[in-house]
Amino acid sequence: MESTRILLVDDESDFRTTIAKRLMKRGMEVEQAGSGEESLAILKDKPVDVVILDVKMPGMGGLKTLHQIKENYPKIEVIMLTGHATTQDGVDGIKTGAFDYLTKPIELEQLLGKVRQAHEKILREDEKAKEAEFRTKMEQQMIATERLASLGTLAAGVAHEINNPLAIIKESAGWMKSILQKEEMAKIPRKEDFEKALGKIENGVERARRITHELLGSVKQNESVLSRVDLEELIDEAIILIKNEAVGRNVQVNNRVASTDSVIWSEPYKLRQVLLNLLTNAVHATGSGGSITVDFERSGDGVELTIQDTGEGIPKENLARIFEPFFSTKPTGKGTGLGLFVSRSIIEKLGGEISVESKLGQGTRFCIRLPACYEPGKARKS
Amino acid sequence: MIKIPTKILLVDDEKDFVEMLSLRLQEVGEKVFEAFSGRECLETLQKTGIDVVVLDIRMPGMDGMETLKEMKRKFPLVEVIMLTGHGSAETAVEGMKLGAFDYLMKPADFQDLVTKVTGARQRKDEQEERIRKAEAKLLLRKSGGAF
Repeated sequence: MESTRILLVDDESDFRTTIAKRLMKRGMEVEQAGSGEESLAILKDKPVDVVILDVKMPGMGGLKTLHQIKENYPKIEVIMLTGHATTQDGVDGIKTGAFDYLTKPIELEQLLGKVRQAHEKILREDEKAKEAEFRTKMEQQMIATERLASLGTLAAGVAHEINNPLAIIKESAGWMKSILQKEEMAKIPRKEDFEKALGKIENGVERARRITHELLGSVKQNESVLSRVDLEELIDEAIILIKNEAVGRNVQVNNRVASTDSVIWSEPYKLRQVLLNLLTNAVHATGSGGSITVDFERSGDGVELTIQDTGEGIPKENLARIFEPFFSTKPTGKGTGLGLFVSRSIIEKLGGEISVESKLGQGTRFCIRLPACYEPGKARKS
Repeated sequence: MIKIPTKILLVDDEKDFVEMLSLRLQEVGEKVFEAFSGRECLETLQKTGIDVVVLDIRMPGMDGMETLKEMKRKFPLVEVIMLTGHGSAETAVEGMKLGAFDYLMKPADFQDLVTKVTGARQRKDEQEERIRKAEAKLLLRKSGGAF
């Protein structure tokens, strides 16, 4: 409020200067303009939060100026000043996008109140924009990771399939070689040529085998950003991101994470992705009036994090398959079937484990266990 | 020294692979049986005395793990060597906890396979020897040491 940047536009210079002085006394930065044209010129150079705009001015009138301001600077809030006889102008102003209007003669406190409200609205809008930007970024990150994971699954599948025919070639060549070593074969013509060719086949197979194994190995290695992670913060963040959707579906989210020592060493971005995956699933599975509870505790030399919902639950026959890639019960096109698969790979890569319990009609509980200090070398093999 | 052939059962849905590996193992003096599914594997074990099973983990229908469990339940003394894909070390560990002797990654080195088959055969022989001795002791006790 104090540092609010204001542009005061009025053709009556006495009125303008008086108000400007009093606003400045309250610590605001005030610019002045004597006409609509002048105000637009000032806005070109100076950043302004709130414009206080007289409706009745010679030249470019207040409403026209308002229109121009809103068109060029949509983030600026405008407070209109109207005469008694022209309240209709104020209403028209609001319709054009003004924040509100005041009728002259104005009281300073009233004006200050309006400025404060306008300023608060700007802050709210800013917050919203930032959140939306953050969300978009997160979503893109998730899509990228999931795409990478599905590509990895594909590559792994192909490599596996190639290993089978490779094994056949290898055994065939090996068999021929061992026949050639038999006594009865000692004197066959051009024996060296056969041996040479078989050697080449074996080398070729060995090369192909290395490629497939490297391909399978590379799928698992992703660059990692190891750092201090405050789980409490991370959980708060994740909950904020899904809050809107939860509220929209009338699902309550309870955060029971107390601030006692929630710091671990791990990979924050990947963990956040897992949390978002699990929370989003929980929201989708929980009907109106239900709730989701996030809990956290230290256990041994690690931490245990649970996300419990009161949703529809997972049928037994699906429970064993939910971590499989491409397994999804969402309608085609809605779910990639990779969310939980990726989540599990991440948690396992971070040396932890993820488990699930579910009762039909009562809800589902996901439990993540993580080491307090993840050391890349000590990761569980997956 | 005359080699006593090990009775090996190859289990894999890749028929060409089974055929070639079988010929190769026979070439070095082993006795080889073939099965192309978990079900067939169990049927063969029912009919034939087998020392070592070489078992592919990835098979359609009854997969390697299920086959292994069933096998260890019905024929606990038969040793098993698993053939796994790359990166399925977890499966390999799980299999060994279930009683498999060892595992190899496909495509496996023939010499490695032969070494592991020999090891598995040895463990089975020793185990059978221990059982024989224990049975003898039991017999001795029952007869009140009359011998």
